[in-house]
Amino acid sequence: MLSKLIVKFAFFLDGLDSYQKSKKFLFNLLQNPDYPYKRYLDILMIFLILTSVGILIYGVRNPLPEWMDIYDIYVVSIFFLTEYLLRFWVYNDFHKAIIKEYNQSEFLLKRFSLWVPIKTVLKGKLEYITSLTAIIDLLAILPAYRPLRILRIFVLFRVFKLLRYTKSIKQFVEVLADKKFELFTLLLLLLFIVMTAGIALYVFEDKQNENIGTLFDAFYWALVTISSVGYGDISPVTQQGRAVSMLIILSGIAMIAFVTSVIVSAFSEKLDELKENRVVDNINKQDDFIIICGYGQMTKVFLEQEQELGSAYIIIEKDKERVDMATKDGYNAIHEDASKHEVFNRFNIDYANITLLCLTNSDIENIYITLNAKSVSKNIRVIARATDASMEKKFKLAGVDHVLIPNKVTNMMLLISINQPVVYSGIHSILMGRDVAHIDELRVSERSRLIGKEVREINFKLYKILLIGIERGSHSEFIFNPKADRVIEEGDTLVMMGQKISVEYFKESSS
Amino acid sequence: MRKEAFLFGYGIQGVSLAKGLRREDFDLHIIEATEEPFSRAKKDGFVNVRLLDVTEDAKLERLDIGDDSYIICVMDDKHLNVFLTLSLRSLFPKTTIVAISDSVHTTEKLKMAGANRIIDLYQVSAAHVHNILQKPIATKLLGSFVSDSYAISFKEMLISPNSYLNGMMTDDVNFSECGVLLLGIIEEESSEKFVFISSGIEHQLHSGDTIICIGYNDDLERFAKGMKESK
Repeated sequence: MLSKLIVKFAFFLDGLDSYQKSKKFLFNLLQNPDYPYKRYLDILMIFLILTSVGILIYGVRNPLPEWMDIYDIYVVSIFFLTEYLLRFWVYNDFHKAIIKEYNQSEFLLKRFSLWVPIKTVLKGKLEYITSLTAIIDLLAILPAYRPLRILRIFVLFRVFKLLRYTKSIKQFVEVLADKKFELFTLLLLLLFIVMTAGIALYVFEDKQNENIGTLFDAFYWALVTISSVGYGDISPVTQQGRAVSMLIILSGIAMIAFVTSVIVSAFSEKLDELKENRVVDNINKQDDFIIICGYGQMTKVFLEQEQELGSAYIIIEKDKERVDMATKDGYNAIHEDASKHEVFNRFNIDYANITLLCLTNSDIENIYITLNAKSVSKNIRVIARATDASMEKKFKLAGVDHVLIPNKVTNMMLLISINQPVVYSGIHSILMGRDVAHIDELRVSERSRLIGKEVREINFKLYKILLIGIERGSHSEFIFNPKADRVIEEGDTLVMMGQKISVEYFKESSS
Repeated sequence: MRKEAFLFGYGIQGVSLAKGLRREDFDLHIIEATEEPFSRAKKDGFVNVRLLDVTEDAKLERLDIGDDSYIICVMDDKHLNVFLTLSLRSLFPKTTIVAISDSVHTTEKLKMAGANRIIDLYQVSAAHVHNILQKPIATKLLGSFVSDSYAISFKEMLISPNSYLNGMMTDDVNFSECGVLLLGIIEEESSEKFVFISSGIEHQLHSGDTIICIGYNDDLERFAKGMKESK
């Protein structure tokens, strides 16, 4: 009876749109690094952490004013607690597990047991609670409990929380984590030397050196010496003790050299990857950007012409030499194979408008990359280069939005130059977008001055512009040479020609 | 009289160019330097195909290319293409030479070698990508200007002495009502210069001027026929 009710409730939750939406929103806010609003939460959390540590330091010497205390206990801690609980909540779903189990048992005609899904979900939740970041989060909340003064020191765990919100620290830890094995081996060796040397010194100098009272003192001396810090508060007095000292100093130098080289090599191995991650992170901050596959002559010329693009593009190239060449030429490039599925997942495909330019000189590759991108997200607009007009159909079938056939364009130009030599320069100017003959389009936005006006009311002649046509809506027919009484509506696109400055002036004054 | 075109190279660009020129009803001669593309051209049904060592001037001279003909240099080997352009220029100083280049540097070299018109493959394509990105609808329209697959295209029309347009100001002619738009004018005195209508200067039309209009093919034809009539 109870389990039936719970299953019913699970289905009810699953169908509840607002519940799903809010949970998804919170998940994105807390966990999805590509979500545009996550940045604000991160900044807020960093602010809370820094102020709370600031209060801790201030409180060492000064009595804390009441508002600071209230801020520290209530505001900061409540934020942290809420965050902890929300993360706990969004980690996995009870209702989904219940529904899945219920459907399975219906299908297999076996008895439905509520325990199975609950156990799975609880296991997941436990996994969350015992994860390192969750433990740090929990410890960071503890200082709010004032009766125990010692808990104040846990404020420092709030500093560890920064790991979650700042990418560079996270990367640093990740790089070190990659050398876990080497560092762990060195640590064991260090422990071994410290222990042996400590015990040796204790045995040799216990009664003779007044500074060494316990074994702990000897270990302390060994560590201070091996790290080459050497406070000098404890020093050996016997010949044997000094011999141990000499050995431990030598091994200390070797040890430090080892640790340094391990860390340095870890970073140099990861340097390219870190740089590329930075490039990808930067591009993901943009709302609109272009991914260019392949760095060849075409990409080069395109980027040279496209100065206005700024940094809203990224080049993906699988040939390392070409990547280096692109970087040397001053372009943002990463070394990746665009035909791999996970490549496009690195980009902010859910929230950004992405245009993909497949400019490699192989049709097979361009089609494969297109299919790959479209399988990741249908929203990615693809412009691909084809070697021959006969390929166009295949490219369209693969989902390419615009097929670019360099040969076709140049051949057409060449034919015009022979067939209609006088207009060639004119057409060339138009196609190349020269200043004298600029064909451009203007989308009539909701606030445009043009809405509701008839074509004749707009003095295109005054602007020295030729109105060529209007496209109504995004996919409807193009109206060439519209009649004078045609009324301009919101969402129309006017296609016009004129000098670059007149077109720009018109666009500016009609918005 | 049919125009004569000499196409040097039946490679990557040559193949589709040759087909385009055949459609446009040119008297086409294909010249190749290597065996494989030569036989391919034959197989594709071209009649005037010659296998020639293009580095030898004597052989080129025997082609006897007229001043009104067109030479198109699209050899796959870029170095050979520049060399060929230079040879042809020295042999036929008045013939129009058109070439396709694949970089700024090649363009410069072809220019120095004496080509009259050079189409930079990458520059044109890159501009095309830019247009697709920034103005998709206008680009579709541009595409229709230069290909025969769409209904809207452009046409150049010569103003005859008894045309009603003779002596009229461009502003006084209502092109729009006839379903066409005036794009630009080439005046008789400056036969090479294309003046865009959007430059803002008002023109008086004279016989011998050429006007370039865009519109649907039917409207263009009708307008061309109509403008021959006197007032």
